[in-house]
Amino acid sequence: MGNVFIPIGPQHPALKEPASFRILLEGEKIIEANVRLGYNHRGVEKACEERSFLQDMYLLERVCGICSHSHSTCFLQAVEEIAGLEVPPRAQYIRTLVAELERIHSHLLWLGVAGHEVGFDSLFMYTWRDREVVMDILALLTGNRVNYGINTIGGVRRDVTPDKYPVILKAIDTLEERTKYYIQIATEEMSFIKRLAGVGRLSKEDVESMCVVGPTGRASGVARDARRDDPYAAYGDLSFKVITDDHCDVYGRAVVRVLELMETYSMVRQLLKNMPEGPITVKAPRKIPAGEAVSRYEAPRGEDLHYVRANGTEKPERVKVRAPTLANVQAVKKMLENYYLADIPIVVAAIDPCFSCTDRTVAVSRLDRGSTELMDWEALRRYSIDWYARRGVRF
Amino acid sequence: MAKEDEILQSLTKQFSALEGKIRIQRSRRMWARVEPADFASVLDYMRNKLGFVILCTITGLDEGENLGVLYHLAREDGIMLNVEVYVPKANPVVQTVTPIFPGADMYEREIVDLLGIKVEGLAPGFRYPLTDDWPAGQYPLRKDWKLDPSPKTGQTEES
Amino acid sequence: MDKVINWSRIKSPWVLHYNTGACNACDIEILAALTPRFDLERFGVLLKSTPRHADVLICSGPVTRQSRDRLVRIYEQLPEPKFVVAVGSCSCSGGVFKGCYNMMGGVNEVIPVSAFVPGCPARPEAIIDGVVKLLMSLQATK
Repeated sequence: MGNVFIPIGPQHPALKEPASFRILLEGEKIIEANVRLGYNHRGVEKACEERSFLQDMYLLERVCGICSHSHSTCFLQAVEEIAGLEVPPRAQYIRTLVAELERIHSHLLWLGVAGHEVGFDSLFMYTWRDREVVMDILALLTGNRVNYGINTIGGVRRDVTPDKYPVILKAIDTLEERTKYYIQIATEEMSFIKRLAGVGRLSKEDVESMCVVGPTGRASGVARDARRDDPYAAYGDLSFKVITDDHCDVYGRAVVRVLELMETYSMVRQLLKNMPEGPITVKAPRKIPAGEAVSRYEAPRGEDLHYVRANGTEKPERVKVRAPTLANVQAVKKMLENYYLADIPIVVAAIDPCFSCTDRTVAVSRLDRGSTELMDWEALRRYSIDWYARRGVRF
Repeated sequence: MAKEDEILQSLTKQFSALEGKIRIQRSRRMWARVEPADFASVLDYMRNKLGFVILCTITGLDEGENLGVLYHLAREDGIMLNVEVYVPKANPVVQTVTPIFPGADMYEREIVDLLGIKVEGLAPGFRYPLTDDWPAGQYPLRKDWKLDPSPKTGQTEES
Repeated sequence: MDKVINWSRIKSPWVLHYNTGACNACDIEILAALTPRFDLERFGVLLKSTPRHADVLICSGPVTRQSRDRLVRIYEQLPEPKFVVAVGSCSCSGGVFKGCYNMMGGVNEVIPVSAFVPGCPARPEAIIDGVVKLLMSLQATK
């Protein structure tokens, strides 16, 4: 087969917008919801086969900028298993430290986005201001605020020297205080609770049958967390609770994330207290021997899974990435049916989706009127804030 | 690795065809090669008798003459059994597992789009992840598929 | 600094942010630029939600095939005079995704770009710097 021509297609004036969500409404209720993904499809898995393992680590870091360390570490764990490499304990601790710091930035980011989706913009400003505390620590330890590049095959590239521990611990103390304030909001701010409670319900049985992952699943009482169930990096040495909640709704998903932050602060303290001495990397071969491995990692949004097959060369035979959001997409349909159009923004936000924020268009078909309209996400968000404001829920 | 051994024993006792086809790579990581004809009953046994209630994802593979479908299954105690099923590239057909694992929907659509595997019984729905105008018969993850990027548009003429 | 503040009193640019296939790293740094620590709003820069009210289109991400047409349409809906800022290495050239089968490359393969802000991701300070430089260069040509 020769080289392939992929047509771009002429620009049609009446071209339909690619809609990520197709909603069928009867009156104000959603009878059917369909999700279409693929707008961010970049062809990463194929690209991995054409690059070396180390190049792939940098590429995979950029599958998602919010949980880049998750993808990088998850990938390397599989490669290291195939190559029979024993990552030194100190490197495992550093990887775990960055992983938990990433969880902090991600959950605070989420809290801000959730606030923004329901019109609670001061929550967005507060959480993102506080999030800068952890961004500074990540930049201090790794040299970058996002896409840290701390990993290498066989360990980590930079040490976390003891002079940095007090700075990190002080940051954790600050964040813990701030998080207590957010817990208060989650339990006492009536408007916030009213927007989140009772929407996007997903039963325990639904979670189990659809194999939902992350805080979304844990908010329905299903205690699955790869850090405890399939321990990796330094998690085997840490003492922590798997946070679950029984609300089964968006409110539960907020509670789980906020309480997970508290567990993370404890884990960071444990990691620094017990940081092992020793090297931070082992030498890795360029050519990885033939073999395969599956690596699982509890990213902030849920279980991330990488499958790697090596063939004795410098490039992988196959790399498969299953990011957590893909596991939860089926459940979104279930979560939206029988709810209101106005609930869509917060319900979708509550799974903490890893598809791009600005590209989500919603196609709304009205059964009783026989019409279809396209709404962009911002229009839907403002509609939902107004809809709830008219019913007495406002910030 | 007591639990992993138990699982291996149980499967080979139930399905003699699996003798010698299951391996334990490390703790919590098992691999099995299953013939397409046996897959449905093995999957049913794994899920209902051995506790493999989680389907993490499905990976498609191009093995040259065959296409592989790798089902990554897990239990709540963290043990994974990765089941490999191979079908001929000339007629690559598997049955959907969505009746047992509704979440498999997106994973199956992915192997349809990217490898050209036919998944029978998959409910009608949007394709994933490629666009509607993607040329038919082009499966990017197959080994012989190559896009030659040109600096201007990232596309090129068929040679 | 005074120059910038004076300038922004004359004209406060409204920006529209569009992600054409990014990993979200640049997106969160663009949003971070609006939060208290970096505070792009003190320059009078406001984030708008529709192209028709925007002067500047801030793009993040390499252009996927699916997003290409939408990007062109959004650009066409911006009223003149209009400017495009490509934020991040992917937006500038395709970044790490250059050569991937579903990618078109940088934003300038599709629409004209007025300013490039490199980085992976671009830091909020760099984004602000890029936007401000663009606006000051326009002021200079007046």
